Amino acid sequence: MVGVTHYLVLSAAVFAIGVFGILTRRNALLFLMSVELMLNAANINLVAFSLHYGNLSGQVFALFVMALAAAEVAIGLGIILVLDRNFGGIDVTVPTTMRR
Amino acid sequence: MTGAFDFAPAIALLPLAAFAVALFGGNYLPKRGALAGITALVGSLVLSIWALVTVAGGETYDADLYTFVAGQDTLSLHLGILIDPLSALMLVIVSLIALLVFVFSLGYMNDEDETGLPRYYAELSLFSFSMLAFVFADNLLMAFMFFELVGLCSYLLIGFWFREAGPSSAAKKAFLVTRFGDYFFLVGTVGIFATFGTGMFAGSESFPHMAEQALAGEHSVRTFLGLGEQAWFTVLGLLVLGGVIGKSAQFPLHTWLPDAMEGPTPVSALIHAATMVAAGVYLVARMYGFYLLSPTALGVIALVGGFTALFAASMALVKQELKQVLAYSTISQYGYMMLALGGGGYVAAVFHLTTHAIFKALLFLGAGSVIIAMHHNENMWDMGGLKDKMPVTYYAFLSGSLALAGIFPFAGFWSKDEVLYETLIHGFGGSPLLLAGYAMGLLAVAFTGFYTFRMVFLTFHGEPRTADAEDPHGVRWNVKLPLAVLGILAAVAGVINLAPVEKVTGIHLTFLHDWLDMAPDSFGTAVHHYTGDHGLMHEFAGYTAAHPLGETGTVLVGAAISLGLALAGAGLAYRLYAVPSPTEHTDKLGSLKTLLMNNYYQDEYQVWLARDVTLPLSRAADTFDQSVIDGVVNATSSVSLFAGERVRRIQTGLVTHYATLITLSLVALLVVFGYLGGWF
Amino acid sequence: MSRPRIVRDLNPGGAVAALALFGVLVAVFVTATFPDAAGFEAGVSITAGIGYALFDMADQSPLVTEGFLVSFVLIAVALDAALDGAILLARREDGSVLDRVRKGGEE
Repeated sequence: MVGVTHYLVLSAAVFAIGVFGILTRRNALLFLMSVELMLNAANINLVAFSLHYGNLSGQVFALFVMALAAAEVAIGLGIILVLDRNFGGIDVTVPTTMRR
Repeated sequence: MTGAFDFAPAIALLPLAAFAVALFGGNYLPKRGALAGITALVGSLVLSIWALVTVAGGETYDADLYTFVAGQDTLSLHLGILIDPLSALMLVIVSLIALLVFVFSLGYMNDEDETGLPRYYAELSLFSFSMLAFVFADNLLMAFMFFELVGLCSYLLIGFWFREAGPSSAAKKAFLVTRFGDYFFLVGTVGIFATFGTGMFAGSESFPHMAEQALAGEHSVRTFLGLGEQAWFTVLGLLVLGGVIGKSAQFPLHTWLPDAMEGPTPVSALIHAATMVAAGVYLVARMYGFYLLSPTALGVIALVGGFTALFAASMALVKQELKQVLAYSTISQYGYMMLALGGGGYVAAVFHLTTHAIFKALLFLGAGSVIIAMHHNENMWDMGGLKDKMPVTYYAFLSGSLALAGIFPFAGFWSKDEVLYETLIHGFGGSPLLLAGYAMGLLAVAFTGFYTFRMVFLTFHGEPRTADAEDPHGVRWNVKLPLAVLGILAAVAGVINLAPVEKVTGIHLTFLHDWLDMAPDSFGTAVHHYTGDHGLMHEFAGYTAAHPLGETGTVLVGAAISLGLALAGAGLAYRLYAVPSPTEHTDKLGSLKTLLMNNYYQDEYQVWLARDVTLPLSRAADTFDQSVIDGVVNATSSVSLFAGERVRRIQTGLVTHYATLITLSLVALLVVFGYLGGWF
Repeated sequence: MSRPRIVRDLNPGGAVAALALFGVLVAVFVTATFPDAAGFEAGVSITAGIGYALFDMADQSPLVTEGFLVSFVLIAVALDAALDGAILLARREDGSVLDRVRKGGEE
């Protein structure tokens, strides 16, 4: 029987894939996509528990998360534009001027 | 009416005022500060005599002057004055000799056109102040302070002609050697304060009284190092003895005194004959109630004294310079005083202290007169035949020499004889160690007779050996007056304690004994408290008197033996040196003479100790300090610098690296919380 | 634009961290116990329920929920702010925003 545990493992897997993407990708756009993955993993988790406990709050919360994800991507793309302007490319390993 | 004791502080403060006057105004005064010193010392002498007369009337004085640490339920430190028979006597001696030395300095320094005289008179006045304050100190800390100040003045005065190499080096040597002894004195002082909570010399609150009560079981004091009470008191006594040995130039810290003769002769007369070196012996006499509680300490004192008496007398036999003979003689005579104190002869020691101050100062001043006459040439082999040209000096010097050698009826005979007698009877009474001291002292009597008269005959008799001796420089009244005064005193001072005459005839003549016995029982410094029938000497030190030939017989035989030896020594010197052209008979001693001339290589030994033993030790300690201690400190800083350098590399500037760290930390936290919270 | 290439210089710490995180999460989830599942009633419109919840009219729906009106308004404000922020970031010093747009679609 598909219980809540399966959904949780699924969300953990998607989250881990998102974390992997953040930690290893050099392209800033892929970085943003990985962030989206993490947010959606959290969404899966929320909806799974909403069904499990029979409370709609989880699904409403997931909607809000989606809206915020959209807002964040908007800002993120703006930042990528600025990054491209100042560092000539969108490789995240190039800007290291904020060390020491 | 105000008594003598109200003016007691002035005894020491008058010379202090003279010090200030000479230091700041000396250049403007006609005699460069000498008159200020003379006036001050006349005042001190008058006040001291007045105090003496008052004490003779039965009063004594013990008061605090200034408390500089007032402890609550603990020890307090103060400056105070103690005037009892012993200190009153010493005050008169010190003021008198200091006054005569100031007068003599007019002739030795002013008339010889020396430079830097304001400094000289200032230092001499400062010395007088410190010595007088030391004498009437009522507690051990104050005594220590002035002990050190006296040592400082000695350094300043020995090095008076500091621009030459000899005096400045001698001054440093004197200061360092006495300072070495004073280190032990300081430890002993701290120990006494820690044990008894007080350093007072006299009274019911004094530490000798407390120590006596502790040994009698009535009181308890803290002891350290896990020692019993008597053993600890012995340790304290021996520690203070370190300072005494240094200051009174006993073996092994005697090496500074012959070199101290580099200073001007009046300084030698005052400091290194009569007063400063007396400070050590005076301190033991002052604390005698404490030393009597420890037979071991007394034994050490007696042996050191007896050995030094013989040791120094042997070195005086071969010296060629006038002041050197006198310096070794001083060391030897102070050995006698220490022998007396260790042997239970308190009155004898004080008697010898008094007579020695008189005749040794006399001999040094006489030597000064000869030195002026010989244009500052001290070598006795360049003199000769001076007795006709300098009669006052000759007769005074002869009086002093007869006293030194211990020839009847001069002062030295009575005092030295009493020293030896007391040691003898206590030695027969069950302390054989004292007999060894007695033997050494007796042999030294023979040596003393010999070197004293060798000195007299070489200097004054025979034919003049150089041009200076044929036509000596004249001396004036300021030299002759002190010599005359002291010469008369040296002849008659023995009457203050004619113990042998009393024992034989029964007439009461031991005035000094009565004088020292006059201290009130509350002070605890009277002779009967020390050496009387129920005194500390019998109770604690275990000395009893035994007269092998009956009392009268022992006295007469002892006196006869010592007088005989002294006359034998003098007679041998007469045979060898009272000839028109004497030769250096001491050359016949051969290699023994080399040993004696080199002072048994004691100076080389001490330099070796300092250079080859202490210096490597201190270098090792320095290396340890620099490499280990500084190394630890440096290592701490370099470790933190290195660690910081390495940790800094985490800040790569790459966002992904930071995110990696965050993720890893999150994982770690989850694991920890999981285990603690039982999630798994 | 260059064709995508295989990444050869992966940050190894990242791989480890992601895998470790996955491992921990799965370990926690699999060993956790949950009460019995309670689903929603059949036949009730979930979407309508969500709508009611958003406008604080939760009592209009039989489903268990809460009011989210304040959050709704705040999200609206946040989206608006994000839009403005994106435009601000994209603007260059001379005030223009678009950089590759040509008139008439020329390239």
